[in-house]
Amino acid sequence: MTTDHEAVRELIGAWAVGALMPGDERILAPHLADCDPCAAEATRLRAVVRDLDGPPVTAGPLPAERGLSLALRTRPAAPRTASHAAPYAAAVAGLQALLGELDEHGPWGTPVVHDWDVHDTIAHLLAADEPLAVRLGLRVAGEFDGVDGASWREAWAARTEEVLARERGRAPAGTVASWQAQAKALLSSPEAHDPELAGRATTLMGARLPLTEHFLVRAFEAWVHTEDIGRALDLPVPPPRTPHLWQLVRLAVRILGLALGSGTPAVALTVAGEGGEASWILGEGAEPVSAELVLDPVDFCRLMGGRVDPEVVPRGLSGDEAAATGVLTRAASLAWL
Amino acid sequence: MSVAEQSYPDTDLHQRLVYGDETALAEVYDTYGPLVHRIARRVTRSPAGAEDVAQEVFAHLWSRPYAFDARRGSLRTWLSMLAHRRAVDWVRGEERHRKAAHADDATLHTIPTPDPPPEDVVMARERSLLLHSALARLPLPQRQVVHLAYFAGRTYRQAAVELGIPEGTAKTRLRTALRKLAEALTEPPDPALADAPGERGA
Repeated sequence: MTTDHEAVRELIGAWAVGALMPGDERILAPHLADCDPCAAEATRLRAVVRDLDGPPVTAGPLPAERGLSLALRTRPAAPRTASHAAPYAAAVAGLQALLGELDEHGPWGTPVVHDWDVHDTIAHLLAADEPLAVRLGLRVAGEFDGVDGASWREAWAARTEEVLARERGRAPAGTVASWQAQAKALLSSPEAHDPELAGRATTLMGARLPLTEHFLVRAFEAWVHTEDIGRALDLPVPPPRTPHLWQLVRLAVRILGLALGSGTPAVALTVAGEGGEASWILGEGAEPVSAELVLDPVDFCRLMGGRVDPEVVPRGLSGDEAAATGVLTRAASLAWL
Repeated sequence: MSVAEQSYPDTDLHQRLVYGDETALAEVYDTYGPLVHRIARRVTRSPAGAEDVAQEVFAHLWSRPYAFDARRGSLRTWLSMLAHRRAVDWVRGEERHRKAAHADDATLHTIPTPDPPPEDVVMARERSLLLHSALARLPLPQRQVVHLAYFAGRTYRQAAVELGIPEGTAKTRLRTALRKLAEALTEPPDPALADAPGERGA
């Protein structure tokens, strides 16, 4: 039998570590018997593997306990909360993990979004979490609470500017610590653990919603900004975990539904992808549906977060195109992030 | 290899690790703990050393989940390479420690460790360590395939599938890697290289 010397020779490495496929030995063995250079190489590489093995290791049983005590000391798990606060707890843990990639000399000055760098984006989140902290009695209300007739958007932007100016004078680690402490306080509040307590509606950032929903708004914003930072640092941020993703989708649908109200043509919105599929009728409920829209859950969240252009967001569309794109444009315009 | 191990979706585990779900960490430990311990024991030759290395490996994955990038390889390969590098570092650390202790002993005129192992065992350990140090310095593509074939017991075909490369490439990389290691045995060790810190993040 003539075997291709070149091809058989390439098997020697795999043979030496015992990684051949069944049947390969039948090709290799006769070749090694005939070919001195290959036989010499085989001997040499097998010897390397034996030397890698070294003298026998006393094989004891694996430790009975999982060896994870160091891991759990190094980073706490996301705190357990009621389900309405779980997406926020996860988002906070996820952003902390991402920030773990930046040490004190890390690229904190990388441009992220608007005219913010990484440090500014955390300072913004620190400001953005404040209204809920005030409402939960975790901090004292400030003038930024928009009592002087200014719109919530103006008050909110002004407060962000104020906090940004202050935090720019601090080391990034200080800003991160403040953001983290406030997030931890929100997640330790009784309202994060008791859905009944968190059922009362309150107006924050222009939206009158139950506190449970405001926790979801915090999760939404933390995730969108984490994705912003990940994009800037070329570290792909995974989407929220499936149940959390759908909590955010349902929140976004409610906000969009409120914004569209009656008077806009009825559009059937289907969100379909990771974790399932759900449909809603938006706009004038009494009208027959004038268009149908299908969006992926992550894309829909990005659209609502103002992170994808309504012109280019991947969508399935049938019916009245103007009515459907009207919904997409409205969704993108609601972004406050 | 169990079916569960084979089909573990790295992206799902990574997502849960990122978002602070400790049950994902326990699952990773249950799946890859034996591999990590096996490598750590092979290199450190010490149950206590292996336990230290394994603790460090899983602490690194948990506290720095973004250090693992699913675009650049599987979690299995990443953990395997991390365990190996940390184990080599552990042995180097022990050596330095022993030398320092020995220097102290010399000044104090005390007698060091009772019952030293026989000369040939010492030589074999040194040769093994030299090879493991050389392995830790192989280029990433070669190191990945050696880890899958040698430590994780994969065939070259399984390794090729896991790495998303042609079978022929996997075979060639294995052979090239082992030839380089063979050369490392015949060359005098370069102390500068031996002490070079391992690259971060695999």
